[in-house]
Amino acid sequence: MTRIAAPAERRAPWFLALLPSLVVLLLVFGLPLLELVYVSFHPTGGPAQIGPGLTLENYTVVFEDRLFADVMARTVGLGLAVVLCCLVVGYPVSYLLARATGSWRGTAFFLVTVSLLVSSVVRNLGWFPILGESGVVNWILTSTGVIQTPLRLVGNIVGVMIGLVHAELPIMILTLTTVIRRIEPDLEEAAQSLGGGPVAVFWRVLLPLSLPGVISGSLLIFTLSISAFTTPAILGGNRVLIMAIYIAQQFQIVLDYPAGASAAIMLLVTAAGLTWAATRIRARGGEAG
Amino acid sequence: MINRSLLVLVLLAAIGFLLAPIIVVVAASFSGGAVMSFPPKDFTTHWYSEIPQSFYDAIWVSFVVAAGCAAMSVLVGVPAALALRRGRFPGRGLLSAVCLSPLMVPALVTGVALFQCSLVLWDLTGIGLGGTLAGVMLGHLTFGVPFVIRAVIAGHAQFDLSLEEAAGSLGASALRTFALVTLPILRPSIVSGAVLAFAMSFDDVPIALFMGGGSATTLPVQIFTTVQFDLSGDVMAVASVVIVLSLLVIVALSRIAGTDLFFGSKQ
Repeated sequence: MTRIAAPAERRAPWFLALLPSLVVLLLVFGLPLLELVYVSFHPTGGPAQIGPGLTLENYTVVFEDRLFADVMARTVGLGLAVVLCCLVVGYPVSYLLARATGSWRGTAFFLVTVSLLVSSVVRNLGWFPILGESGVVNWILTSTGVIQTPLRLVGNIVGVMIGLVHAELPIMILTLTTVIRRIEPDLEEAAQSLGGGPVAVFWRVLLPLSLPGVISGSLLIFTLSISAFTTPAILGGNRVLIMAIYIAQQFQIVLDYPAGASAAIMLLVTAAGLTWAATRIRARGGEAG
Repeated sequence: MINRSLLVLVLLAAIGFLLAPIIVVVAASFSGGAVMSFPPKDFTTHWYSEIPQSFYDAIWVSFVVAAGCAAMSVLVGVPAALALRRGRFPGRGLLSAVCLSPLMVPALVTGVALFQCSLVLWDLTGIGLGGTLAGVMLGHLTFGVPFVIRAVIAGHAQFDLSLEEAAGSLGASALRTFALVTLPILRPSIVSGAVLAFAMSFDDVPIALFMGGGSATTLPVQIFTTVQFDLSGDVMAVASVVIVLSLLVIVALSRIAGTDLFFGSKQ
């Protein structure tokens, strides 16, 4: 019988199989990013022009320009608020879904996650008839006499926050449900039989055990929130100046490409760093669990 | 443990919150009065007959771009995933990270980078990729290829290599083994990678916004730019069509492949 050469033993062909992907990603991703980095170290040479000479100015602007500092602070604040909302709503829902045994569990899980599968632009449109000045929420509040003048809930940071929580709550629930399901229900029962109330069981058993998942989920949601462009652009009406909107405006309206490029690189480094950290924490949590 | 009815209440509220905008889009598309105002004045279907031609064109553009993106991604992504799983060459871990790295970059950053790069390409060679179908499709490969690679790598974890050895020892050629054993076993993960690439391409705004435009305007970008100026019933009608189509695709695919198709990679 002839010995069958395991494909893995042939070195060259496998590298050749990888080559098309590497070339494609180099051309459509690697080179454009390098070009962006290159632009970010140049001064602006007027609208849509890149000036000669190298400069660090586009990066040091962070410490000098009040407006840009505000943009960054607003972005971080928005990200934290979205994470907090997703945690407060997502944790109880995930707990219920993780511990549920009934046949309704699958249905509930589907209903919680189905919005992920609907186009993000389309989802955002639905908030206008709900949050607009003559929308459902304001109609309820004014007709019940809670408020006299309609609240502004869209076209500002409130609308952006609602849209982002809507987009990312299912992701938080998916992450937390997986984590909580891995915690033995026996542990909760043991804590209870030793006299721990629901609050004590949550703070001293559930939360510590699910902490790696909570942290990696939060990092993921935070990263998605500060990188999001579509939702802030639609629901903020281009008036909520956060990093993504600022970057897009530099390229589309202001036409200061180097300023846009450096802001984009800063966003990239932050997002990639946080994603990497989240993956590390999840991997370590997985080993321990 | 914790008060169960309170938890159920939170769950119902969350489901209501998550479904509300989707239901409202469909409801608003049948509303006779101004789209933004509640309660609706009367029932009408006339928005559906007033969908402008530009939206039909955009649906076609989106479809071509997404199909092209999925096909290209499978074509280059599947061999790469196999190489990364089976090959024994130096730097494999690093190369694997490199192939998946575009997924860590915000789409907007990729979009503006591609935009910058297409300007440089135009200056240097006169090749204009901006505003073309090819340009948008190439831009979407930045997530399409990694999605396929990731899906196939994950699907390969349960691959029983002895099946290939069996085919070989029974006299099948390497090519025949690949076509009749390897590919069928990997098909679910290839399909799920392709579906993900297609869906993300159909959903993307930032990259298509910066690479497209003109005759290469995808549906999300068309809706996105329209609602910046005016939100009327015809947009809601288009959006409702998209919702119904995506729900049909979801149901069809989950019948064929199970819901793991969508949530497998996230859990």
